[in-house]
Amino acid sequence: MSDNTLNIYEQKAEEMTATHIIPTDAKFSATEGGFVSLDHNGKHYDRVRIVRLFPFTDADKYLSIREYEGSGKEIGIIEDLQAMPEETKKILKAQLTLCYFTPVISKIYSIKDEYGYAYFHVLTDKGECKFAINMGSNAVSKLSDTRLIIQDVDENRFEIRDTDALSQKEKRMLDLFM
Amino acid sequence: MILKYNIPKTAESKIILKEDERIYYAVPIDIDAEGKFTNDSYFVVTTSKICIIRGTDLKEYPIKDLEKASAEPGIGGGILTVQKDGSHHVLAHYSSKHLSRYAYIARGINILISGRFEEVISPEYEKMCPICGRAIPGTKACPKCSGQGGFLSVFIKMAKPYKKDFLGIFLVMVMVAVTTLLNPEIQKHLINDVLKKDGSMQAALVFLALMFTFSVAIVILNIIKSNASARLGSKIAADLRKQLFEKYQKLPLSFINDRRPGELINRIINDTRYISDFMADVFCNLFAIFFIFIWDVIFMMVLNLKLALLTFILVPFVSALMITFRKTMSRIFGLQYRKNDDVSSSLQDVISGMRVVKTYGKEKDESERFKSVAETFAVIQKKNERFWGMFDFLVGVLMGMGLVIVVYFGGMDVLGEEMTTGELYQFIAYTLLLFQYIGWMGRLPRELSRLTSSLERIYDVLAQDVQEEPETVHDIDIKGEIKFDHATFGYKSYRPVLEDINAVIKPGEMIGIVGASGAGKSTLINLMMRLYETDDGRILVDGVDMKDISRKSYHSQLGVVLQETFLFSGTIIDNIRFSKPDATVEEIIKAAKLANAHDFICALPDGYNTYVGEKGYTLSGGERQRIAIARAILPDPRILILDEATASLDTESEFMIQKALERLTRGKTTFAIAHRLSTLKNADRIMVIDDHRIAEFGTHKELLDNKGIYYNLFTAQTS
Repeated sequence: MSDNTLNIYEQKAEEMTATHIIPTDAKFSATEGGFVSLDHNGKHYDRVRIVRLFPFTDADKYLSIREYEGSGKEIGIIEDLQAMPEETKKILKAQLTLCYFTPVISKIYSIKDEYGYAYFHVLTDKGECKFAINMGSNAVSKLSDTRLIIQDVDENRFEIRDTDALSQKEKRMLDLFM
Repeated sequence: MILKYNIPKTAESKIILKEDERIYYAVPIDIDAEGKFTNDSYFVVTTSKICIIRGTDLKEYPIKDLEKASAEPGIGGGILTVQKDGSHHVLAHYSSKHLSRYAYIARGINILISGRFEEVISPEYEKMCPICGRAIPGTKACPKCSGQGGFLSVFIKMAKPYKKDFLGIFLVMVMVAVTTLLNPEIQKHLINDVLKKDGSMQAALVFLALMFTFSVAIVILNIIKSNASARLGSKIAADLRKQLFEKYQKLPLSFINDRRPGELINRIINDTRYISDFMADVFCNLFAIFFIFIWDVIFMMVLNLKLALLTFILVPFVSALMITFRKTMSRIFGLQYRKNDDVSSSLQDVISGMRVVKTYGKEKDESERFKSVAETFAVIQKKNERFWGMFDFLVGVLMGMGLVIVVYFGGMDVLGEEMTTGELYQFIAYTLLLFQYIGWMGRLPRELSRLTSSLERIYDVLAQDVQEEPETVHDIDIKGEIKFDHATFGYKSYRPVLEDINAVIKPGEMIGIVGASGAGKSTLINLMMRLYETDDGRILVDGVDMKDISRKSYHSQLGVVLQETFLFSGTIIDNIRFSKPDATVEEIIKAAKLANAHDFICALPDGYNTYVGEKGYTLSGGERQRIAIARAILPDPRILILDEATASLDTESEFMIQKALERLTRGKTTFAIAHRLSTLKNADRIMVIDDHRIAEFGTHKELLDNKGIYYNLFTAQTS
């Protein structure tokens, strides 16, 4: 009997270490409720989670597709979203938009600092936005010398892809946080 | 936290309410279907339906059609979903700004689904002021809108308890100002009345004596003033430090956890030190210099209006220069400060990770990395120092020019006999004073803003609301029955760690808690220790809601042994006595014996007086753990909590401690978390926590027969 359980663990260990690649012909479809379902290897998943493995460096590569129910086991990995069929790409992109919200700042109108908080007024790829950061905490983290992630007091994240692409004036405003 | 926003009339008019229908929640939806910011969408929950308004579009979902609502946190935002006909539907997508709000609303919707009509209220504070849009520093109300904040008001708040001291210093300052201003006047008389007019030796001596007296008086008064200010500064700083520390002890753990430990230490050490520095260096001159400055200007104008105006022309130049330079300065020195931080944090990284660096042979790479960080810092520092040097030089040149102008035009006036030599001398003395203090005043705004932010940071902590225990709490003698009644808790309101925990534990029962890491075991224990309070539901002790028992009484009947033993710097006896300060030596020895600690303590050269802690005698993990156990059992607690108490020990120590624990847990309600199931063989019942809930609960045998999670764990560990 305990042999049996041991086998279960062997199996679990096997499952844990195996990496499945999701082929380009996997059947993803949009559900009525706004989520994504998947038919893969003869199994139907009502709703799957999509997780970016490298959200900063390779947002569209290596997407982990996971079960929604239970502990969220991995079904497989999509190596490159761009290689997927148009329809699938569209569905997955829409789903990613729903799960990831990190506006990218393209223009800084003003930064005002006052008593430990800095108030930003910026233009992002998601529209114009005002937010505040706490200067006392690690609100600004550097992904590289020129790439920043800014976390506001509400824990929203904003990204600056390349500080070198900003104007001299914008850079000077940012200097305080670099 | 606001759960019912005022939504625009146009949007509100779209919602048609039935007779007894009311709006419970109304929150903006700030992200549209394309994932862009929007400000014309609202999520409204009434007692019978959910309305989603997007511009002119309205969608309705009757509550009775829904099975469950949940607020799912995502990355940088979240979605509110409902289950309808067995499938999931997204209703709203929002940024993190509304994350907590929607979590409460989802809870509210679920209550409505279950047929009840309670309205959920969020006890959390707003992070941004809804009136002025400023960030609120963790306080209930916005300090600006409630009329506090700003330099003057924080300064007054600080100064208020020290009114008398401030008045004394103020008087000395006035005296300093008067003597400083009178000195040139006497010098004028010496030149005009004695030197120019061949005055008597006697008169000369009188003036010289007066000058000497004034000079000495200035020195003495300045010493008194500086001393008094410095003393007052340290007094204020010490008082604030004390208040801060007391507050830290009272604040809920979540406040401490939300902040970096360094930041909290900084507020006690650096911010208060800045206040005493400010008092000693800046404040002591503040009023004196303002006073001198104003009279200085008046005297100059009275002496020679034309000359005074000529000198003043330079003032705007100097000031403008100062302001621009100061701005640049704070920018570049801020940068330097940050780079300095980088250097120390990278240093700390490498030094604390030295073993890893060495085992992977990365010494060279790390040196390179550090070199580049240090070099950037050095470059910035060099640039800044050069700038600083230039600044001083430029200001010096400007002031020198001012003096040249004064001497030239003043000299002309003296030759033209419009002014006496003594007056010119006096005028030059005032000009020098003027420039000296312009420099000083240029520094002032920066110092004031630094002081203000230091004070604000301190008052941010001091102003934190501590939930005082209500009057209704009372002491009880715990028998040990514990009941979890729909207990739900999460460290962040939108991410529950424990959901709907229901269990009854009999007095004296030993409960083993098992489950995967992160399942919520330690959180359950934290709730038992009352470090946090349940968000929903209750925990009852002997039938009394835990919140109605006074903390003091509850904690005095609770013993805790954690995996990471924390011993304070002090002797062994101090550490054991921590849980019961009035324990007798006999009691302590008995506790140590019960904890199997007495024998090893006897073997130490200093016995119970052995100094342990950071700089003290190094005890082994097992020894520390046994001291912690002695500490836990000293007050003879009714409830005992063991969180992996023996996990970090070697097998022999573990065996010994288990033996000790067996004796202790008898008759006490005990919760023991363990990964190694063998250590739970004495447990009356086992609670398996999985996926934030109690998955299985029963005796060892029941759970084995059940063939569930526990069965799998047990067979995996014993085979």
